[in-house]
Amino acid sequence: MNWLEFSSNAFITAFYFYCVSFIAFAIGVAGKRWSNRKPEDHTARWGKIGFVLAVIGWIAHLTFFFTRWHGGGHIPTSNMYEFMTFLGMAIMLAFIVVHLIYRNMLLGAFALPLVIIIIAYASVFPSEVQPLIPALNSVWLKIHVTTAATGEAFFAVGFAAALMQLIRVVDFTRKDKAGKRAQFWTEFSLFVIIVLIGFLVAVFAFRGAGYESNFSQETVSIDDDGVAITEVKEVKYSLPPIVAPYNSDTVSFQSFIGMNEPLFESPSWLNGVNAGRKLNTVIWSVIAGLILYGLLRLITRKPLAAVIHPHLTDIDPEDLEEISYRAIAIGFPIFTLGALIFAMIWAQIAWSRFWGWDPKEVWALVTFLFYSVYLHLRLSRGWQGTRSAWLAVIGFLVVMFTLIGVNLVIAGLHSYSGV
Amino acid sequence: MFQNTKCECGHQNPVGTVLCESCGKPLDEDLLIDENTPLEMRYDGVARRSQKANPHFIDRIWNFFSSVKIAVYLIFITLLGASLGTIFQQESTLINLTERSEFAAYYKEEHGTAGVIYHALGLSRTYESWWFVALLVMIGTSLVVCSLDRVLPLYRALARQQIRKHLQFITRQQVVYTGTFEGDREAWLAEFGKQLKRKRYRVWQEDGALLAEKNRFSRWGPYINHIGLIIFLLAVLGRGIPSWHMDQYLSLYEGETRQIPGTNYYAKNDDFTVDYYSESELASNQKGTKVVKLYETKARLYECTADCDDPIKEPVLTEVMQHDIHVNSALSYDGLKLYQNSFQEKVRFISVHPSLLNASTGESLGSFDLLMDNPSESYEVGSYQLKLNDYYPDFSLDEQKRPMTKTREPNNPAFVFRVTGPEIRPEGEVYIYFPMPSEKSKYYEQLFNESFKQRGDNTGKFAIKVENPIVDGKMNNIKYSEYTTYLNIRMDKAMPYIWVGAAISMIGLIMGFYWQHRRIWLRFDDDKLSLGGHTNKNSFGLRADVAWALGRAGIEVTPKSLDNRRNLR
Ligand code: HEM
Repeated sequence: MNWLEFSSNAFITAFYFYCVSFIAFAIGVAGKRWSNRKPEDHTARWGKIGFVLAVIGWIAHLTFFFTRWHGGGHIPTSNMYEFMTFLGMAIMLAFIVVHLIYRNMLLGAFALPLVIIIIAYASVFPSEVQPLIPALNSVWLKIHVTTAATGEAFFAVGFAAALMQLIRVVDFTRKDKAGKRAQFWTEFSLFVIIVLIGFLVAVFAFRGAGYESNFSQETVSIDDDGVAITEVKEVKYSLPPIVAPYNSDTVSFQSFIGMNEPLFESPSWLNGVNAGRKLNTVIWSVIAGLILYGLLRLITRKPLAAVIHPHLTDIDPEDLEEISYRAIAIGFPIFTLGALIFAMIWAQIAWSRFWGWDPKEVWALVTFLFYSVYLHLRLSRGWQGTRSAWLAVIGFLVVMFTLIGVNLVIAGLHSYSGV
Repeated sequence: MFQNTKCECGHQNPVGTVLCESCGKPLDEDLLIDENTPLEMRYDGVARRSQKANPHFIDRIWNFFSSVKIAVYLIFITLLGASLGTIFQQESTLINLTERSEFAAYYKEEHGTAGVIYHALGLSRTYESWWFVALLVMIGTSLVVCSLDRVLPLYRALARQQIRKHLQFITRQQVVYTGTFEGDREAWLAEFGKQLKRKRYRVWQEDGALLAEKNRFSRWGPYINHIGLIIFLLAVLGRGIPSWHMDQYLSLYEGETRQIPGTNYYAKNDDFTVDYYSESELASNQKGTKVVKLYETKARLYECTADCDDPIKEPVLTEVMQHDIHVNSALSYDGLKLYQNSFQEKVRFISVHPSLLNASTGESLGSFDLLMDNPSESYEVGSYQLKLNDYYPDFSLDEQKRPMTKTREPNNPAFVFRVTGPEIRPEGEVYIYFPMPSEKSKYYEQLFNESFKQRGDNTGKFAIKVENPIVDGKMNNIKYSEYTTYLNIRMDKAMPYIWVGAAISMIGLIMGFYWQHRRIWLRFDDDKLSLGGHTNKNSFGLRADVAWALGRAGIEVTPKSLDNRRNLR
């Protein structure tokens, strides 16, 4: 077995340990009233089991990282697959640190699913080791990417605690407008997470089934000299095409439950690279998410937040708020150092300018500014509690947009390949 | 507004003081009504400079910029503005377009109506726009003002703290413990103080009261961070000073030396190399494509030391540095930096080493070095002399089929020589020579030499060509450049300030976030013990400290029970 094979086995091991750890945490949260033990003892016991499993998973994850580094010849943070797996590993580190400070047994029940979703998302991308292009061949690649991801990982833990806090404080007995609004948005946050899971389910199900359809798309682009260039490109779909690419012909179409041709063509303004396919993926994610969400609602017959809420009642929302804030406060300097200062140093060395308003750079700045808004608002008392929890949730959305959205939607110097 | 600013303890406070600067008694009437809510401890309740009774015009501007609320708005608007700039490409990334109309056309073609609106609103130049720069300047101003507004009062408040605080001040903190105490107060206080010292608190005692404090320095963290940001912003604005900043591109083919415009320096490209990954190193979705591993310019930098501006003389160059420039490794000399930007695969003749031959026997009569872009007036070849009559660097024919040159670039050079020497007629013989080994060039060469012969300008006695142009599959007697390298020449005098600002800012962040300012006040009133604790963040840690020290001193409490906010719910 060579290093890379060993490494991918370690990755799968880590993934399974995370899943089992999550189950243990979930039992710790949800099963309090099952056993005849005291609820606190039950939670402490299962929380401990979950934590130990999580740490074992993390060690496997570290093994994956270092063996891949050794086998691939460079630090595995140079494409989307590698970056997302690294981010998952960093979130685990942040989770372990925060757990050791606060020993809150339930945080794992929210942090682990986040890690699982992120590394499952990583697996959507091609996992093969690619050689480095000259710009990435620098020690600053290691320093910049690892510190930036670590900062973001603490924001992720802050997000998990904030979401928990929101579910903890949402009051389903309230019928007034503000109460309804809180219920709606809390539920909506959970729905978004379900859509992400829907995306993963759809991608892996069709990939497992070997689904493929092809289109040839004619694109007209304007080069930098203002000359129009017409190109015919092959577009490969691995999810059944509900939308075809703009201005395209079907090359091959594998039929799916009676669907033999795309239902419609994507609008002309969506003419970027693979825009049609991305739109199709989004539609599938929402469909799969809706189905999943509908099933869950059918089973539980309650909003999901109302299902989770009762299990959280014996945690103080103040504790959660403190955890969330603390995680962000730990992450902010690390993020600033990694995503801005080290990034500037590297950009200065590699591209001769420390700052070039590249979309990725701008969004790192936006993240930084957003969290400094969060910190400043929190200095005044009105913005503590639920309001600052919402800011922590939105902040993490900004982080995720910076990491993924910018690559999928906007292209720039930093863009890795997208799905 | 409250009129009486004199506290019952006798201290005269400035207008706007919330908590008496000396004993900590709440002065604000609203605060006195509700005796249970925790106190707002920001800046220890001292009056900020901006809180004046009758603000003047200048004060109002000061107040505007000192407000955190305004700062949050400014930061938020900047954040929104910056993100708008990423919707479509910025004009600065379209390096081949220059005219406003070209840009307008580009956005219309590429993005339709949305593009037209985007361009018309000026969002295609977001980061250079007046409003964006104005936002940065306002944030900078706000940073200066808000820091000055708070840091001095805060410094004053922390520099002279009274040990025995007002009872309400203590019982309305975030962290509170109250209980009855019997026994030797002084001995207990000494013991409690000792325990806190072990947690690295500094402890002061005064007849039945105690003050413990640690990590006060971390309170300066945010201000140091802000100072760093101010320096950073000033440095960014400083880059607008023309003489502080240079940014230009220089193309060099292999072997070329060129002056860096606007400087006294010359750069030379000794050699340029490109390495590609081998097929086995590529991932499966990259097979069959060429992926660059490394490209590198072996460069030399010269400084002109004499005759620099003399058009007649050649400048005297002294080598000052030699460096292999590649993407992550620039040549850096005295503030000047040469970065590898890109390269182009473009064959370009540098020189050939042709021979003069006897056309009938093929015997070589001598050889010479011929530079393609800068040939000499004449050459000594064996016992003959070759005088350059005409030179067409980029040979072509005009409409009347007369020779001309298309450009100054030696893309297809042609040389017309007059050969003089022994055993030929005194006026010599005229030959044209095309070094480029293309069929078309060779055809022209033959055609023109033939017509010269018909005109009687030559007798066909000589031929000029490179002997043995290929030896063992390698070019021989021919020098050419395969690649042209593009270097980005930079000078940025603001950079040191940028780094200093960033470093200061980072130090401030670390001070402010990884240490917390914690204070504990304790007082006895007869047999009643009251303890209050305050920290600017992480009250979890403070509660743990207090519970630990109390426990060591014989009072067992859980950290959680100390949380005043919780107890009040
Ligand atoms: C992009 C610009 C800015 C950044 C990155 C920034 C960053 C920070 C940070 C990290 C803190 C510490 C927060 C905490 O301890 O929770 C802070 C505190 C503070 N900032 Fe800013 N800041 C910025 C601009 C401003 C501006 C323009 C003002 C002007 C009103 C301001 C006023 C304050 C104040 C009053 C504090 C509290 C200081 C204290 O706790 O003693 N900030 N800032």
